[in-house]
Amino acid sequence: MRNMEPDQNGAEVPVIELRHVEKHYGDLHVLKDINLRVGKGEVVVIIGPSGSGKSTLCRTINRMETIDAGEILIEGVPLPVEGRELAQLRAQVGMVFQSFNLFSHRTILDNVTLGPTDVLHVPKKEAREEAMRLLARVGVESQAHKVPAQLSGGQQQRVAIARSLAMHPKAILFDEPTSALDPEMIGEVLSVMTELAGEGMTMLVVTHEMNFARRVADRVIFMDAGSIVEENTPDAFFSHPKSQRAKDFLDSIQNH
Amino acid sequence: MSISQLLSEFGSQYAEALFTTWKLTALSFSLAFVIGVAVTVMRVSPVRPLRIAGEIYVQIFRNIPGAALLILLVYAFPYLNIVWSYFTCVLIAASLIPAAFCSEYLMAGINTIPVGQIEAARSIGMTFVQTISKVVIPQSLRSSVLPLTNLLVATMLTTALASQVPLKPRDLTGLVAHINTHAVGGVTAFFISAMLYCGTAVVIGQVGNLIDKRVRILR
Ligand SMILES: Nc1ncnc2c1ncn2[C@@H]1O[C@H](COP(=O)(O)OP(=O)(O)OP(=O)(O)O)[C@@H](O)[C@H]1O
Ligand SMILES: [Mg+2]
Repeated sequence: MRNMEPDQNGAEVPVIELRHVEKHYGDLHVLKDINLRVGKGEVVVIIGPSGSGKSTLCRTINRMETIDAGEILIEGVPLPVEGRELAQLRAQVGMVFQSFNLFSHRTILDNVTLGPTDVLHVPKKEAREEAMRLLARVGVESQAHKVPAQLSGGQQQRVAIARSLAMHPKAILFDEPTSALDPEMIGEVLSVMTELAGEGMTMLVVTHEMNFARRVADRVIFMDAGSIVEENTPDAFFSHPKSQRAKDFLDSIQNH
Repeated sequence: MSISQLLSEFGSQYAEALFTTWKLTALSFSLAFVIGVAVTVMRVSPVRPLRIAGEIYVQIFRNIPGAALLILLVYAFPYLNIVWSYFTCVLIAASLIPAAFCSEYLMAGINTIPVGQIEAARSIGMTFVQTISKVVIPQSLRSSVLPLTNLLVATMLTTALASQVPLKPRDLTGLVAHINTHAVGGVTAFFISAMLYCGTAVVIGQVGNLIDKRVRILR
């Protein structure tokens, strides 16, 4: 899956790159010297205890949260600070949330076409055709004319993924996409994500689904108290965690 | 005078007055709605001075009596060389005040929108204006149909302010005042106007319920 494109100098330009990122919420130091590169087509899974800063990290990448220091680059270009440029950048980095966040006043189809028509100025008809293709791809095309509240959580989350895909993003950030789902619906969302990964989508995924991480991730990042403590291949990380904190964390989730 | 005597003598004037009240109501409410939406957008905007201006607007016009505002427009503004027709003065008074309430109802509607949906809008690259016009205001409007229906009725009653100035043609309340100075209409003259207000309010209420059922958002 890993396939970084070299730039003119022959070096690889990561899709997402964080350099020495720092963030505070008041006195709380939530991100401490975060350095991270996600290459084209790479799937990086972030795990770590509650409050370790995983969501905050995700949200800084499309600037839903500002940072205090450091740099964030998308395909080598620093994040714009505000305004139209920032909105355009956000359109290039998809985000899938724990709570789906579909627009509850619009149909499923509208949820998927709104971004393309209003942000990318794709003609309506074209946007609808592509939306139907995407809905079919995630298996909810028969629900296209319903509103979100009429769908199950698993279906809503798959629509949310289709809504992201409709923007043709360079990468998609997933923040605990299955944590709000009933157990029987987790599989259907993970399998859509697995397919995406197989097709070469660049993905940064915060999740507690260790089997997914094992099967799909190219790299696992373990965060604790605002720092990246460990970074390794899934096999190496799960069988031989280096740090005591990672060992404790893996023990704690395996006892559940 | 009995109802039938009153109607045979003033029937056409009642019809005209009812029409005037409807016209004032429709125009005031439309203005109130436009101003209310604009003030609401200011109140949720990222620009602090706009937010403050929006709040000040609501605080002033939610708390000022309609009659006081009308007196100001009719008798004080001419000193500033601002002279409006009586109709315009009534229209302004009967829209600036409901606009403040309109904004309050829309803000209440906005508070029912999950923050995540606004983040989702931003995350697909919508600008502030797009997020407001495609997600925030539509949802807020659809969840405020019933309060806005009540506001329409309240706006109609506010247009009775017109009876305080020599407006021609007269509104329903103005006509009662006129009848009672020229004939002995008494309570009956008022009763007819009251029934016309009530009838209109009932129709507005029914239509409001129908609209609410159609547009209410499933959550
Ligand atoms: N808007 C905010 N204001 C203040 N503190 C915040 C805010 N958002 C998050 N925090 C704090 O920052 C820390 C990191 O939060 P974050 O949501 O990134 O953790 P997380 O790793 O995603 O946790 P979880 O697994 O529970 O989702 C937590 O201590 C949290 O309480
Ligand atoms: Mg989180």
